Amino acid sequence: MKSITIAAFGVFGIFVVLVLLLPQQTKHQLQSALFQWISPILRTGASVQQELGGVRGGLKRLDELERENQELKLQNEQLRATNSLLQNLESEVNRLNRALGFHEKSAFKLLSAHVLSRESATWWNFCTIDRGTKDGVATDMAVVTEDGVVGKVTTAAKDVAVVLLVSDESLRISVSIEGTPEQGIVSGTRASSTYVPDLKIRFLSKTANLKPGMKVLTAGAGGVFPSGLVVGSIKDFSVKELEGVASVTPAVDLATIQDAFVIVGQK
Amino acid sequence: MILFFLALLALIFGSFVFQLFLPPVLLLHGAAILFAPAIYFYGCLSMPFPLTLALTFFTGTLSDLFTVPQARSHPDFPTGISIVIYLVPGLVMHGLRPLFLRNRWQTHCLLAEVGAVLTPFLLLAQYAMLSFERNEFFFSEVIFWRIVGPGLISLLIAPCVFFILTPLSHALGYRPGLPFAR
Repeated sequence: MKSITIAAFGVFGIFVVLVLLLPQQTKHQLQSALFQWISPILRTGASVQQELGGVRGGLKRLDELERENQELKLQNEQLRATNSLLQNLESEVNRLNRALGFHEKSAFKLLSAHVLSRESATWWNFCTIDRGTKDGVATDMAVVTEDGVVGKVTTAAKDVAVVLLVSDESLRISVSIEGTPEQGIVSGTRASSTYVPDLKIRFLSKTANLKPGMKVLTAGAGGVFPSGLVVGSIKDFSVKELEGVASVTPAVDLATIQDAFVIVGQK
Repeated sequence: MILFFLALLALIFGSFVFQLFLPPVLLLHGAAILFAPAIYFYGCLSMPFPLTLALTFFTGTLSDLFTVPQARSHPDFPTGISIVIYLVPGLVMHGLRPLFLRNRWQTHCLLAEVGAVLTPFLLLAQYAMLSFERNEFFFSEVIFWRIVGPGLISLLIAPCVFFILTPLSHALGYRPGLPFAR
């Protein structure tokens, strides 16, 4: 073997080990920097996709009207999302009032965001949004729509952020089933055959009386997702050796989602 | 040669960005369309060994940064693993370099298809790694197509990529080939 080959392999090995040993925080920053760097391309690509979609739909509008329409649409969705969250919150408060006898009031501060791209990575489900740290977005913030939970921010660059979708296997959320005392952990599946992926709730009791259509709500444990957000609805329930497992249809259509809201805090 | 190497780096980077906008193929159970491996395999065939390793390092690192969400704690697929995953088929392709250097379009076409056949290996290795980290291994029709599907798509893509990259390398003044083939 030539000495240059051995030397090259040695240098390569050292670099690989160095990358593998990098602290997770550094890798996180690297990904953040990379997405920040390509954010202009992502924005341009997203607008080209939108333009193409507009042409495909045979709709041709004046720029101003389109912008105004977009703004109104965003406002409308924001109001609907706020309303939905408040309704969920109201039911949560009512439930707590009934059960514990105390009064609680809170509301969320929502930041509207546009989905720039939906990655078609084979084993991971995530998307990028056009909001970043300069808008107040940080890692581990919940992302929702008026229909329910979308996911959580895993990487926040200055102008864009990466959102891990609820359909990803590695995102686990503590949930409760509406109208029952049941609680469990919902997560996505590693590979789903369709654009409407099934979620799975584990650690339910074997005697749980769950029926299709029952709402699945976030339980509020973990600190990322406030309680009462809709995750989806029960599709079916089965009893395994040690636990009850339910499959869930997500509330949000993750394939067509264009706008979402980041919960940046409480009002 | 260095010019073409830099062009390959830029093309691999560009293909990773382009892949972000490509929807999965529903006909193949959501299989992804992958351009980067085809460009990488061409690089493995055309570049000398040290530059092949540099290309592997670049492609593997980018692959992880582009496709794996980097959650702050407990990553189940650490950044850098893909370098090792890319290295194995990359070395196989580099081993076939003498064939590539004959500079015949038929062998280039054949080698492009060999690269396409090796593409599912990348996904299979990723899947094996994930299953190991998540302590749960299962196999289904969907997973089969998620692994094999990109390879089938690459069977169509790879020859086109090869036939575009060859004139590009010539245009950039790099003409790899054995003396008798020139």
